[in-house]
Amino acid sequence: MTSDLVVIGIGQTLRGDDGAGLAAVKTWQQSYPDSARRSNLRVELAELPGIGLLSLLEGAQTAILVDAVRSGALPGTVHLLSEADLSNPLAGSATAHGWGVAETLALGWQLTPRQMPGSIRLVGIEAGDLGMGEMLSPPVAAALNLAANQIEQAICQVMA
Amino acid sequence: MNQNIEIPGLARVEGEGALYVRLKDGAVSEIELNIYEPPRFFEGFLQGRYFQEVPDITARICGICPVAYQMSSVQALEAAMGLSISPQARALRRLLYCAEYIESHALHIYMLQAPDLVGHESAISLAGEAPELVKKALRLKKTGNELLSAIGGRSVHPVNSCVGGFYRWPDRQSIYNLLPDLRWALQASLETVEWAITLDYPQFEQNYEFVALTHPDEYAIYDGEVLSSSGTHINHTAFEKHYLETHVRHSNALHSHSAAGTTYFVGPLARLNLNFAQLRPIAQQAAQKINLQLPLRNPYMGLLARAVELVEVCDLAIELAEAYQPAGESRISFEPRAGEGCGVSEAPRGLLYHRYIVDEHGMVRFARITPPTAQNFAQMEADLWALAPSAIQLPQEEASLAFEHLLRSYDPCISCATHFLKLKIERS
Repeated sequence: MTSDLVVIGIGQTLRGDDGAGLAAVKTWQQSYPDSARRSNLRVELAELPGIGLLSLLEGAQTAILVDAVRSGALPGTVHLLSEADLSNPLAGSATAHGWGVAETLALGWQLTPRQMPGSIRLVGIEAGDLGMGEMLSPPVAAALNLAANQIEQAICQVMA
Repeated sequence: MNQNIEIPGLARVEGEGALYVRLKDGAVSEIELNIYEPPRFFEGFLQGRYFQEVPDITARICGICPVAYQMSSVQALEAAMGLSISPQARALRRLLYCAEYIESHALHIYMLQAPDLVGHESAISLAGEAPELVKKALRLKKTGNELLSAIGGRSVHPVNSCVGGFYRWPDRQSIYNLLPDLRWALQASLETVEWAITLDYPQFEQNYEFVALTHPDEYAIYDGEVLSSSGTHINHTAFEKHYLETHVRHSNALHSHSAAGTTYFVGPLARLNLNFAQLRPIAQQAAQKINLQLPLRNPYMGLLARAVELVEVCDLAIELAEAYQPAGESRISFEPRAGEGCGVSEAPRGLLYHRYIVDEHGMVRFARITPPTAQNFAQMEADLWALAPSAIQLPQEEASLAFEHLLRSYDPCISCATHFLKLKIERS
């Protein structure tokens, strides 16, 4: 599916703050409805795409990924990363069953670079509570507006 | 950015699968395999939910095998409600299951286990040496995902299955449009079998009790009775009497064993060994062409079984897609009633059993989910013990890899988790 820009929310909605990326994309859709309905923009809510992320990226010139992350920062911290930050697949190779975002991107850049967006950014929301359940922890829920704003800013930079 | 940040698990929560091998005086004194098992959480999470929510909730347990969770749960709830779905709905469910097998087996064969067997640390490094091989894997997986999307409405977590059938019939043309890809996938899967036999599998034969569904008229995936290589052949409603779960101290997963106290092995090896005669002719011929000698008793050769099954499901998918003619209601109209029912199907990684008790308002009062990985757990530990004496002679890193490769050959489902396995070998 061709589009100038794709916004992809990623997460496991049954693992607490792991669903933050999906929640942030939904918040952005509500807060910036005109932006979210641009004709040259595609929105994907992909719970656990694994390696299928590559298919979602196909055809877009720019991708904005929105996902929960863990870096040791305070829960609710919103990170904005470029593809240079993402190109080191620290997610490792000990995968038993699925594929992480960083590994999947690394595979795409290596195997099918022409099908990858020219630019990829990641809005990462620092997760706190990753226990079973559908609720976001208070600091992460409180960060959704900021994350939505970061998504919108990233779009404006791309579209400018 | 002013400061480096490390994001070791960009995706899911990490470190929920762990293996501990403890040595004392040069010998293995303890082995603990600890895999987080969210199905236990789901049993509580489902209580008090409306029965029709169950297929979609359980599908979210796993990004790789959502169809399996849906198919076992809808069958269990249909048994509880006394429903029989139409032959058309059953055929479409089988086609949906083919989609899941194609994407799951392609992922495991090429992206997860093959790197272990050809000495690559991951599919990323394998892609550097054999890009066409990995591209083939990705195309196969994509074919499965597109079929899943055409039937289930979404490529990862399908949302179209319901108790009583499907919410809507998928558009006929959208299924037909996938036929060229499915025909390519069948050829690719035949090539996969011939490539798989050239791989170098570790020598590791064990005496297993294999357990799988069996069906007189087809290679059992969607439903069937429960057959064991020990000779036990039971109706699936008697599953919990013959296969018991117990808690073990070091894991929050339950471990399964047969009523006789033995460990058992579910998954592609069990299916192929027990149901070879029901395979479609093209899959049987593919196995015979590489002179596959059954029974296979080497867990690493699960890859060969998956490759043969890939031929089976691609060929079956073509037949079902060609025959797909939606007509009539896509689901049964019914009022919920109180009842209890169980359902089984063969997830790509083995037998998946569900049982529910529903009240007169259709609310779930009890849920039991017995996933394949929990059933294989005790067998995996037994295999680790069998491997340990030779593995601990290796340097630390090679020993870790040897254990990891063995576990990965089982295609364990660390559902809802980071899908990472942390290995720690302690020497004292």
